[in-house]
Amino acid sequence: MSPVKTYFSDVFMGLWTAMVGMSITLKYLFSKPVTEMYPDVKPKTPTRYRGLHVFEEEKCIGCYVCAKACPVDCIEIGVVRKGKEIKITKFDIDYQKCMFCDLCCEPCPAHCIHMGPEFERASFTRSGTILQFATPKELSEDEKKIEKVARK
Amino acid sequence: MNELARFLPTFLEGFNLSLPQNLVPVVAMFLCGSIVAAAMGLSAAVLVWAERKLAGHFQCRLGPVYVGGKFGWLQSIADGIKLFLKEDIIPTDADRPLFRLAPYLAVIGVLAAFVAFPISEHLLVADLNIGIFFILAVLTVEVFGVILAGWASNNKWSLLGAMRAAAQMVSSEIPMGLAILLPVMTAESLSLKTIVADQSGGILKWYVFQPPFFMAVAFLIFFVAGLASLKRSPFDLPEAESELTAGFHTEYSGMRFSFFFMAEYAGMLLVSGLAALLYLGGWHGILPGQSGVEWFLLKTSFLLFVMIWIRWTLPRLRIDQVVYVGWKVMTPFALVCVLGQAAAVHFRGG
Repeated sequence: MSPVKTYFSDVFMGLWTAMVGMSITLKYLFSKPVTEMYPDVKPKTPTRYRGLHVFEEEKCIGCYVCAKACPVDCIEIGVVRKGKEIKITKFDIDYQKCMFCDLCCEPCPAHCIHMGPEFERASFTRSGTILQFATPKELSEDEKKIEKVARK
Repeated sequence: MNELARFLPTFLEGFNLSLPQNLVPVVAMFLCGSIVAAAMGLSAAVLVWAERKLAGHFQCRLGPVYVGGKFGWLQSIADGIKLFLKEDIIPTDADRPLFRLAPYLAVIGVLAAFVAFPISEHLLVADLNIGIFFILAVLTVEVFGVILAGWASNNKWSLLGAMRAAAQMVSSEIPMGLAILLPVMTAESLSLKTIVADQSGGILKWYVFQPPFFMAVAFLIFFVAGLASLKRSPFDLPEAESELTAGFHTEYSGMRFSFFFMAEYAGMLLVSGLAALLYLGGWHGILPGQSGVEWFLLKTSFLLFVMIWIRWTLPRLRIDQVVYVGWKVMTPFALVCVLGQAAAVHFRGG
């Protein structure tokens, strides 16, 4: 191309490409913003989201399978067994360790532990990150004797 | 009584304030200046908010949302208060008097330009018979402020930014002046009011749509050169963040920084307004007979939107590219337009 032609085509292309670019950004101007107004509006988590655990105490048989499956040993369970009666005295999960791998939920024979949609449990203390899922119970003296607390 | 500078003295005399006779014009001038400064500051605040909001939406974000309840409409006020409370730092090695003078020069240039800037047929401070020439002349004072700021900061980045500003200003102001020549030749007047009056009578009478369309090219040149002289993206080399931290205002903080900021946004308003006045029929509407402030504000805000739109579309040019565009593209094109329009005016029956 001759220099004159190059010059004019450069000027034209400069204007043309600027206009093409502007048409693209204009499309984005009218597209829906992707911002999530997080603290004001909670995000919808997906159905199989691995958030904080959901524990169904009435179904739990205190078999420690979940605690055994846990690769980081973050589940601590306390059980009182009297014949067929099972009392869950403790079901603590240490979220400093938990890596939300879902391995505790899969082997559970009673299907009492699941991964839930919640995720907001940040804490300023270490003890605040250990969540107690079992409801606190008054134990009699002989119940205290047969209570078994274990991690694995 | 349609000019503020003529109306205020008579208005003040009507109050019987028992001022000495020769003090009345001084008080009136002071009032004029205050009104212009307040309007400028307010419009700059609105513009900053609009820019942030639009920038957000261009990037699929929301922009400010919290301040002032909805849409973050008080964001600029909050920013202003924050800047007001900031510590005012002057570097020890800086040239103190020049460092202090620079932000005032930047603001004063734009402020003085607004004096000759008509908003509608009846809403203006003073209709100078050399209006557009005056505006161009005082606008260059802003660049002195920028160069002084870069020099007085005693900082390499600031100095580089200031030098870029100087090079860019020289290469953009000439095509801008040449582009302004076309409406001036056609209207045979330097007064903005006369130039706009010449465009009355519907959209086809606006200068951009006047055959042989030299004026349309001139409008484009004026707008691009205006962007360059305002240091707006893609010509924001004097303050290129990624290369020069903040360019000429690296060392400025607090109110002094906000003066530069305000000068930039008021300058945007001025260039868009001038483009609307010179080429887009000013306060005249689309149909013949329509006229009013709202038309002027509509055109100006559209051009402001285009400026923001360009900023969030195009990446920054290199300094040699800016100078190339100024000297080798815009200046020859503007010269051809001037010659063409001169011939058109001559053969029209001049």
